[in-house]
Amino acid sequence: MSIPNTGYDVREISRETTGSFDTRHMRINVGPQHPSTHGVLRLVVDLDGERIARIMPQIGYLHTGFEKTMENRTYQQGVTYSNRMDYLHGFGHDLAYVLSVETLMDAQVPERAQRARVILTELNRIASHLVFLGTGILDMGALTLFFYTMRERERLLDIFELVSGVRMNYGYFRVGGLSTDLPEGFESAVREFISEFPTMMEQYATMFVQNDIFVNRTKGVGVISQDLALDYCLTGPSLRASGVSLDFRKAQPYSGYESYVFDVPTSEEGDAYARFMMRFLEMEQSLAIVKQALDALEPGPIKDPDRRISLPPRHELENSMEAVIFHFKLVTEGFHPPRGEVYVATESARGELGYYLVSDGGSMPYRVKVRVPSLINLQSLEPACVGALFADMVVNIATMDPVMGDVDK
Amino acid sequence: MSDETRLLEVVLKDLEAAGGKKSEFKGMVSVNFERKTILEAVGVVRDHGFNHLSDIFGIDYESYPGHQGPRFTVAYNLYAIAEGERLFLRVDLNETEELPTLTGFWRGANFMEREVFDMFGISFQGHPNLRKIITPEDLDGHPHRKDFPLDETATLFNEGRFLDPAAFRAGMMGRDPGLTGWAGGARKGVRSGNMSGVDASQKETE
Repeated sequence: MSIPNTGYDVREISRETTGSFDTRHMRINVGPQHPSTHGVLRLVVDLDGERIARIMPQIGYLHTGFEKTMENRTYQQGVTYSNRMDYLHGFGHDLAYVLSVETLMDAQVPERAQRARVILTELNRIASHLVFLGTGILDMGALTLFFYTMRERERLLDIFELVSGVRMNYGYFRVGGLSTDLPEGFESAVREFISEFPTMMEQYATMFVQNDIFVNRTKGVGVISQDLALDYCLTGPSLRASGVSLDFRKAQPYSGYESYVFDVPTSEEGDAYARFMMRFLEMEQSLAIVKQALDALEPGPIKDPDRRISLPPRHELENSMEAVIFHFKLVTEGFHPPRGEVYVATESARGELGYYLVSDGGSMPYRVKVRVPSLINLQSLEPACVGALFADMVVNIATMDPVMGDVDK
Repeated sequence: MSDETRLLEVVLKDLEAAGGKKSEFKGMVSVNFERKTILEAVGVVRDHGFNHLSDIFGIDYESYPGHQGPRFTVAYNLYAIAEGERLFLRVDLNETEELPTLTGFWRGANFMEREVFDMFGISFQGHPNLRKIITPEDLDGHPHRKDFPLDETATLFNEGRFLDPAAFRAGMMGRDPGLTGWAGGARKGVRSGNMSGVDASQKETE
């Protein structure tokens, strides 16, 4: 099938720039290897003087075919792929994936596993927002904050490493619970972080909230009105910065989020400053959730006792033939959910995230469709950037907070 | 809660009057529509307060056990922010059939429809910029179709270039000069200014 030439493709762009001579607009290329594009985002920008006339994201450099790969692996193996998409908020992707499979299987996740999932997802959200803050302000030329936020993120990654064995790409959640129980020293490490993080937040605040240069570069920049945000299907902190209070932790609670007390910060401004502040304020709320979940964390089972889903305990394999059979079946071919299609929306650090799973009754999903927030949020660069100064484009990219693994899948 | 249920009930009544077929699984409501009436149905749903278009995606039912009817389904994932309700609209269609674009309702439908086009080859009439979004421009085929080759198959690109896994590995080991099994002439990208590949594709489209 040939590609219709209805828009701009790379060949056409090069042909146009060499063939015709347009004196009004200058077409320049940004990325894909550019520090301010946060990965391999490539933008083709038409400039009218210093102002942007048109902005065209060219994506796909990091396309890995995760969805197709997951369609050819068992359900339990899927957790090794989900977290590799959004590598900054891996626990969020893991959670979204296992929630969808659990809905399909009617799995009952024990309370301890639910609490552990919430703690880890929220800590990961803080880690993700820390990267956002550090690199976002780095793009504006403020070098110092980056080192501070990376210092705290390092502590969080140490906690994640303690739990799952790796610093990224965790794969710690399982359908029906967790892979292993939380290790010794986890609780004290998290408590230590909780007690110290508020003072760190104060340090960050003194470095950017009242910083004249930061305020001047972000206030009134890249304004997206509420209507435009909905028109462009924006979600997450960027949508809440435009005055729409949509947070799936509140709107359609999952994993027991309804039992925690927290606020959803929103702002009416819709500018880059508001988008920065949303994430900064969200870190406080995440910390409050972690605190509540940790206080309520009781010892107990961490897996669904249902033998269709979870592996039998090790000691049973020695004296129960039935346990051996279940173990063998689960390891060799996995479980078979009923035929049907499910979707569970979750709130990742970037917006609405959900896995649409189609099951044909086999041990592998028939179709996996990930509703990734970064890809769809990227379209909002258009209302934010068109008509604005080229120098502000960098600020707008930063405040959309795209993770390219999440964009290209 | 009762108000919320009522919204979905009201919408469903309207949709069923317009010819939709409702189905439900694990609390997830979807309504099937004919291809010709889908735009109208989306309009109805949107007027009822489903103001957030979550996603548009395709499903290829070619090898789904026991499946009858058209090969593809395109599903619209809609959400009402104020009421907290979710609704799926679905259209079944064949390979040759096209859908109307939703970019008139939500400009954000742009990337979603481009992704469906890229992955399934389903066209959207009236889309402002319908071209591939994720896969390379010269890749032939649509990866999310169930008949797309998996594993170590030589991947054919439009311009006669194809990736041959064995040759690729040989190139990585340094035993062979080429990384790709370029089918004719000099390999594209080795020497700058060699645009033979581009010329070939232009001839093909003309």
